[in-house]
Amino acid sequence: MLIDLRKCIGCNTCAVVCKSENNVPLGVWRNWVKRVEKGTYPHAKEYSLPVVCNNCAKPICVTVCPVKASIQRSDGIVYVDPHRCIGCRYCMAACPYGVRYINPLTKIVEKCFWCHHRVDAGLEPACVLACPTGAILFGDCNDPESEIAKALAENAVQVIKAELGTDPRTYYIGLDQEVIDTKESKKE
Amino acid sequence: MDSQLLYNIVHQEAFGIFIAVYFYLTGLSAGSFILSTLAYGFGMEQYKSLGKVGVILATVLLIIAPLFLLLHIGVPHRAWHLFVYLNFESPITWGSFLLIIYPINCIVYGYFMFKEQKKLTRIFGLIGIPLAVSVHGYTGFILAFGKARALWNTALMPILFLVSAIVSGIALMILVCIVKDRFFSAQKKINYPLLENLGKMLAWVIVFDLFLVGCDILVLLVSHSDAQDVAHLLLSGNFFPLFLIVENLLGKIVPFTLLIVPRFRNLVTMIIASLLVVIGIFVMRYVVVVGGESIPLI
Repeated sequence: MLIDLRKCIGCNTCAVVCKSENNVPLGVWRNWVKRVEKGTYPHAKEYSLPVVCNNCAKPICVTVCPVKASIQRSDGIVYVDPHRCIGCRYCMAACPYGVRYINPLTKIVEKCFWCHHRVDAGLEPACVLACPTGAILFGDCNDPESEIAKALAENAVQVIKAELGTDPRTYYIGLDQEVIDTKESKKE
Repeated sequence: MDSQLLYNIVHQEAFGIFIAVYFYLTGLSAGSFILSTLAYGFGMEQYKSLGKVGVILATVLLIIAPLFLLLHIGVPHRAWHLFVYLNFESPITWGSFLLIIYPINCIVYGYFMFKEQKKLTRIFGLIGIPLAVSVHGYTGFILAFGKARALWNTALMPILFLVSAIVSGIALMILVCIVKDRFFSAQKKINYPLLENLGKMLAWVIVFDLFLVGCDILVLLVSHSDAQDVAHLLLSGNFFPLFLIVENLLGKIVPFTLLIVPRFRNLVTMIIASLLVVIGIFVMRYVVVVGGESIPLI
């Protein structure tokens, strides 16, 4: 997945459409748009950062899951088997991105899995389809002819927390480290 | 650069108080077991009276501890999945087997001890030591594998957990010995020289524990930004009263002083010191588990 932050207008459509596509209960989110304001008036700008599961190539959640409920499919999507998960939340503790949550109704762990049910049917994930500015690209990065492979080759891309060695596969164009690092408001 | 966080989602904490209680109880169990093997495994006759108390404590605590895991997990009736769908990369899978083997070994060891079969007791006692070390050490690995949390992701974590387990085990043993001697023994007389020995042992293990905590915090303070954040959370943030005052001052430095200065050393201060240690180590578990995950990730 590639998110072009130059095109993102912070409208939250991706977060809303995910809720309805995946029946995400109240109070928890599979994806959301983090918003940070940098600088002070008159030199201030608001930044949006859509956060989704990175479906890492080397996922720590799959390593630590004691019942192999978190699994990586052969196409790289990491998902949680709802019939196997016991709700021990170890994956939530280990995930560096905080994208996992415990479903308040079923008490099992859920997360974004790039709408694998839609991908299997040949469709795009719901957030990709719904994004009004087309900021999100999705596809097979190994296919050099795909739109996403071309965009990855032609742009400078970043990932969140590359240093943790999970090999995240949600790429961003125009990602600002300050936006990731701002966890509370701060003045310097 | 000034920056304001306008909107973000932080989901519910992953581990909470139940996991802290679980770590605390397995620690007490491992500590008690190791004390019980001093006489029956290694032949230190002066600690013989600790043997039976130790093995009973170790078994009972380790039977209670997993109940807190069942309270913690979302779907307890699926707990059998842990023994069917195995992932040997996950510390919890190691633990689900240790939590079965270790109490069984405790019961067998205790059975032979009460039957006065010295040789078999010794064998099962010595088998039990690596099991006791693993059953608590693996909980350190559970946290250490959480690589996004700076407070947990350190190779010190298993050894820190083991040392604090021994600290809490000795303190609990002192308290239980006093209660047992005072109310349940034939002579109603407290074996003070034994307690004094245990007290000295406790004092020096506390020093080692303080040393490890100090190493951990010092390295966190100069490490990456998340690590510095969590170090400041413990030293001057929300967890400052629990970490510095309760865990380290009341739970380690005060008991150490009471136990080591000859002028202070008597039965009453020993009870106070042991109580403080038992509470302090519980707070340590809480600070590590809950403090470690209270820094937002993204």
